[in-house]
Amino acid sequence: MEANEMTFAETVVSVLTSKFGGTKDNAAKWDACVVVPKEYLHNAVEFLKNDASMQMDMLLDLAGIDYLTYPNHEGPRFAVSYAFKSTKNPGRRVRLKVLVSEADLNVPTITDLYASANWLEREVYDQFGLVFTGHPDLRRILNHVEFVGHPLRKDYPAQKRQWLSTTDFLVPELEKRLEDKGYKVIQRSKEIMPVEEEYLEGSIRE
Amino acid sequence: MIVLDPNGEKMNLMALNVGPTHPATHHCVRLLAALDGETIVAGVHEIGFMHRGFEKMVERGTWQQVIPYTDRLNYCSAMMNNIAFCRAVENMYGIEIPERTKVLRVIVNELSRINDHFICVAAAFQDLGGTTPFMYAFNPREEIMLIWEKLTGARLTNSFARIGGLYRDSYDGFENDVLAACKSVEKALKDLHACLDRNRIFLDRTVGVGKISAERAISYGWTGPCLRATGVESDLRKDEPYYDYETYDWEVVVGTQGDANDRLQVRLAEIEESVKIVRQALKRLAPGPVDIVDPRIRVPAHKLAYQDMEALIGRFKSVYEGIRVPEGEYYCASECANGELGFTIVSDGSGHPYRIKVRSPSFAHVSAFNELVEGLTLADSMATLPGLNMIAGELDR
Amino acid sequence: MSNEAEKPNFITTSLDFLVNWGRTNSLWPFPYGTACCAIEFMSTEVGRYDLSRIGSEYVRFTPRQSDVLLVAGTISYKQAPILKRMYEQMAEPRWVIAMGACASSGGFYDCYCTVPGIDHIIPVDVYIGGCPSRPEAFFEAMFDLQKKIKDESYMKQRAERVKDQLEMIKAKTEQAKAEAREFAREKREELKEFVAEKEQKLVKKAQFWKE
Repeated sequence: MEANEMTFAETVVSVLTSKFGGTKDNAAKWDACVVVPKEYLHNAVEFLKNDASMQMDMLLDLAGIDYLTYPNHEGPRFAVSYAFKSTKNPGRRVRLKVLVSEADLNVPTITDLYASANWLEREVYDQFGLVFTGHPDLRRILNHVEFVGHPLRKDYPAQKRQWLSTTDFLVPELEKRLEDKGYKVIQRSKEIMPVEEEYLEGSIRE
Repeated sequence: MIVLDPNGEKMNLMALNVGPTHPATHHCVRLLAALDGETIVAGVHEIGFMHRGFEKMVERGTWQQVIPYTDRLNYCSAMMNNIAFCRAVENMYGIEIPERTKVLRVIVNELSRINDHFICVAAAFQDLGGTTPFMYAFNPREEIMLIWEKLTGARLTNSFARIGGLYRDSYDGFENDVLAACKSVEKALKDLHACLDRNRIFLDRTVGVGKISAERAISYGWTGPCLRATGVESDLRKDEPYYDYETYDWEVVVGTQGDANDRLQVRLAEIEESVKIVRQALKRLAPGPVDIVDPRIRVPAHKLAYQDMEALIGRFKSVYEGIRVPEGEYYCASECANGELGFTIVSDGSGHPYRIKVRSPSFAHVSAFNELVEGLTLADSMATLPGLNMIAGELDR
Repeated sequence: MSNEAEKPNFITTSLDFLVNWGRTNSLWPFPYGTACCAIEFMSTEVGRYDLSRIGSEYVRFTPRQSDVLLVAGTISYKQAPILKRMYEQMAEPRWVIAMGACASSGGFYDCYCTVPGIDHIIPVDVYIGGCPSRPEAFFEAMFDLQKKIKDESYMKQRAERVKDQLEMIKAKTEQAKAEAREFAREKREELKEFVAEKEQKLVKKAQFWKE
């Protein structure tokens, strides 16, 4: 069992290296992880998902990483780590990593391949500000709409608090969803703005 | 709003906001549904109402200080999260924990799983308007809570596991308490099955509601009981066994339909399997140490600090500087009550975690929620949600 | 007459006692449970602890039908406007319990997204410690709240509430009285003048006939 796993990890790394110009990630000492160039990411993921020898049918996680304060770090500031596993061949796992420089925050989306990528990419966008090009609905997910900045970046102070005045309207997103399903909106519903007293302006203790 | 449907016919839809202040959404999910009469035509949902910055907070502490934060991820089975995190870090060290710790962790894991599943089923029934099963399910749960109190000192958020061992050994009479709890769990199971299996109202509300196909569930990243309810036999305890789970005699429970009823029934059946594992594990519980002996990882025993210079230094260092986890990146997952709980850990070799990303099962389950409820009635959407066992601490972290 | 409501007497104290007795023993909670403390509240409700012993088992998930807002769990900035709105929708009399460390002070989530205590948003009557609070601690808080309610006086609160109205009524009455006095005085003057005129006329007439 152990030997098989090792060989699978090795084959994944070698295949991705030869086909998509990837390099083995030296930081990953305990599992298989390949750094893939940004432009080949979509192809590599498609290969992992559809190839009969791989069958990585589940995208588990997207982890954004900010290397700003990492000691002796060289290279781009951000990275995104994609964790895959296979439910058809249990025990097979692989991670892909994409490096993203501060000058170009774009990463190609993989929402067309995995449904779970939708929310995971939104979360990375919310927390790190990486823009997934081609994502159908890229907006904040964990933080509120009035939030400025990206909290999990290392230069965002942990205690910098931001008040939200009122809850999100969300009807434009609903209309978008309707249109995705083949409906056509002819008359939009009116936005009911909250009255002045309903806005939360901040702490009542100060 | 007025819309044209795909056939070109005019429809008058009402946009209705459900939650977050709704008993079934636990103040943590908001669904905006476009209703045609009572049927949900389309829906968008929003989360983040309980986002409390787990990933930012853990970067400020030491590695052992992460453990209380992991408690509050899935607070219904807090100790499972401790153990999942400790296992990930122990794998990075490459250390083997003592045999007694392994068995104790298995017992604690399975009892937590029982607790979690009981809460899920009880809350699901409560949301549908049934109060009796709620009371039935909480009796054995309280009994397990009493064991937790004796074992760890806390009821809910226990912080029991430590990197390289456990907080402390079990107490005298632990085995008897667990056996008694197993008995009352089985009794409660019988009662719950009597309430559930042939209850016409319950079956009408849940059978065929919130169906999802196996392919779609896998694409959404579903794991755990929710994925198993669709018929996929996927359990990390069997697939990538740890703590000798493969040597226990138990079976992976799978459903057939993937609807709300299956998700609850799979959970109830898993409780039975967990009781089996606990009974077997109790027989294997042999006396021995629970902590590894390595002052760089596990803090030396308190009484040693008064006799031994090295132990004193070890305690001082591990409290003030924290343990130093080898540099590198790692993804490690364990089978928790809701599914695969994974930690992507980035360590820079210092006493503080550089970055820990939680892969939470609830996040994947809830992301499919609007697809599940579209086409159902509004009341059915609230019957679908509790089966997903959405735990806010894990969902929003 | 107007001061009688403010002074305690047999009728008002009895009424106070009756109202407070009713309120203390049927506090219907509205569990605003977002996190771990909500699970402990569920434990409080059922078998072993049994919240119905103090008449609070009737948990209402709507602000319209509840007396106690029980905030159990972390409140994030995204949740804050909703909590404020829920509180404002509750009918008087209303009380707030902050259950657990997170609701009381933010707990150990000293972070960009959590409100450091719900007293930044709404007034709080009772705080409970613990992460999460034990059911016993929750009962203690309910007993504290009951004590607090027993000290309240319905008549005093009512007097407080209608104080402005009373003063307005008093001022209006004064004004009306003054106006009436003024009017009466004017009338009297008029009458006097009229009588004097009449007398003069009579005198003139008498003189005329004399002549």
